[in-house]
Amino acid sequence: MTRNDDVVLAVRDVTKSFGGLEIMKGVNLDLCRGERHALLGPNGAGKSTMFNLISGEFPPTSGTIELQGRVISGMSPEAINRAGLARSFQITNLFARLSALENIRIGVMARHGIRFNLLRRVSRMKSINAESMQLLERVRLGHRADTPAGDMTYSEQRSLEIGMTLATGADVILLDEPTAGMSREETAYIVDLIREVTTDKTLIMVEHDMSVVFGLCDRISVLVYGKILATGTPDEIRNNREVQEAYLGEEAA
Amino acid sequence: MRYKLPLIALLLIALVAVPPLFGGGVQYALVNALIASLFAAAFNLLMGQGGMLSFGHAAYFGIGAFAVLHLMQAVEYGYMGVPTVLLPLAGGLAGLIGGLFAGYFATMRAGVYFSLVTLALAELLFSLAPHWEGIFGGEAGLSSMRMPWLGFNFGTTLEVYYLTLVWVVLCLAVLYAYTLTPFGRLTQALRDNSQRIRYMGYNAHTTKVVVFAISTTFAGIAGGLMAMSNETANYSIFSTHISAEVVLYTFVGGSTVFFGPIIGASIFTLFGFVVSGATNAWLLYQGLIFVLVMLFAPKGIGGLIQAHIDQRHRLPWARLPLPYAVLAGGGVFMSLAVVFFIQSFEHVLSNRYQAVVARTGEWPDYHLFGASWDPLSPVTWLVPLILFVPGVIIVRKAAARIHEMWEGQGADVEKSEAAPATSGGH
Ligand SMILES: Nc1ncnc2c1ncn2[C@@H]1O[C@H](COP(=O)(O)OP(=O)(O)O)[C@@H](O)[C@H]1O
Ligand SMILES: [Mg+2]
Repeated sequence: MTRNDDVVLAVRDVTKSFGGLEIMKGVNLDLCRGERHALLGPNGAGKSTMFNLISGEFPPTSGTIELQGRVISGMSPEAINRAGLARSFQITNLFARLSALENIRIGVMARHGIRFNLLRRVSRMKSINAESMQLLERVRLGHRADTPAGDMTYSEQRSLEIGMTLATGADVILLDEPTAGMSREETAYIVDLIREVTTDKTLIMVEHDMSVVFGLCDRISVLVYGKILATGTPDEIRNNREVQEAYLGEEAA
Repeated sequence: MRYKLPLIALLLIALVAVPPLFGGGVQYALVNALIASLFAAAFNLLMGQGGMLSFGHAAYFGIGAFAVLHLMQAVEYGYMGVPTVLLPLAGGLAGLIGGLFAGYFATMRAGVYFSLVTLALAELLFSLAPHWEGIFGGEAGLSSMRMPWLGFNFGTTLEVYYLTLVWVVLCLAVLYAYTLTPFGRLTQALRDNSQRIRYMGYNAHTTKVVVFAISTTFAGIAGGLMAMSNETANYSIFSTHISAEVVLYTFVGGSTVFFGPIIGASIFTLFGFVVSGATNAWLLYQGLIFVLVMLFAPKGIGGLIQAHIDQRHRLPWARLPLPYAVLAGGGVFMSLAVVFFIQSFEHVLSNRYQAVVARTGEWPDYHLFGASWDPLSPVTWLVPLILFVPGVIIVRKAAARIHEMWEGQGADVEKSEAAPATSGGH
């Protein structure tokens, strides 16, 4: 396996039960610095639950999660974000009445520790605004800066989601089905965008469709019924018998 | 932006120059309109900016008032030397402390549950206050007197008016500035999506408590101004009626626009002073207006104004006045019908009238709109009908015409937005 200091996110024997029903059944996962990792699995496998556990939506029933060697399981989402982890959501989740630029700026403000500032005019904070605009342009929405997020097209909103996730400056990025509900062209566009903006980050993204992640991700983990079935390079996963039976077979059927 | 500053300057000049031309009654009404405006703006910081609908803001308005009365008494009896002009600060402090405490608990829940907790807390205060004589002065409440300061003795309504004006204008300026700060923007993000901000490094609960407490601070200042103006207050200041009124002002005025609640509060307060002298049915009219605005202009008066400002370059201004005037005319017909109807009922169902009926067995004529009417004659009841039906027809026609004009402009908008793209090749 990889050397320990290369592991930025470690999920150790994590289980999660909802009302007696065990959804996660002892998950182990290592995320190495700088890698792009895909979390693959059928609907209801527990991928979003896994993201919720990592990002602090709720604590694991047992097991631990470490970020850069520090235990984060049990911490609040905001504390985990400040520790350097950010996530996006499967269902579009932004500030609908704020402009695209402001959606990003909320994250940029947090990154610079501006939380309870009542003494300055936000429009005069040059570096914050410049940084926000720069990030907005990186997700190719510079021309939509003043548009309320709620008025943008679905695929623009998905791009904005990615921008917002990057805005707090976290090094570990979790994207939950960034291509959900997109056409083939839109998917190609967003995958290209993800590749571009995560060059110096550690990424784990949920994806349904294996073909989408083959060109993008260094490693893939397959989650089925709350257990990691296999982790490996795209080729290893493609040729894994168990995966073929449990997941790909299902797809083909 | 350009039109805003001159407009505000003009309004301020009017607020300074006009009241001396009127008598104490009008000045008193204006004092109340100013206070209601501040109260509504404070409420809307929580509701319009923060997305938290409080049904119990009377609590903070009330504790602000009592705090100021206690301080006024302390000054009056010579325990302390606080200048009269600074008294409302005590109201703000009380509102802040009360808001931090109540907000901590109320903001643990969102939506309806939040609203119900705020309602319950205010009700609690309303029922306890008459029994806590030491703090709230029992049923009678507390009274005190404004002390002279630096040659002003604050004896006339006009002096109180100017003092209130200064406080309200300053507070509104601060509340407006709030919306431009980083925390002000965060407040709106919280409104749109309180879950997402947690994943962007913000503690949503703390943020909500701070927003709540800032809102209650200004509600407390408004209450303090009320106490200073009336020199008295009792537990009824905590009543649901006060909490509901500020909700009503804000929604009718429009919560999505900063000046909306101020417009709503001013109109309702001033209208109330005019109408409540003439009828007992003022609350009924108030409710009716609220329902109508919610049905036909859910963004309120402020929302309507804002829509016109947003579309100013696209609206056919020259063609608008006619259908607007027709609409207003039809509205007047309908209003007259409704007022006739309600006022007739008020007359005929009044205790005095019913006593006459019981004694004599007859239904005498009553007076309304400078004429007398026979309640048993069908002609009497035909009058509102004859006014109402054409009114409805006129209003519907005019509304359809106006709608058409706005929509028609919408089509133009698309064209004009597409234009730069096509001309880009030149
Ligand atoms: N908060 C929750 N309470 C109860 N059950 C949940 C909760 N969150 C997820 N589940 C259940 O866990 C299972 C996995 O869901 P999810 O993680 O959303 O799957 P995926 O993202 O892989 O499609 C589903 O059966 C879902 O119903
Ligand atoms: Mg999911």
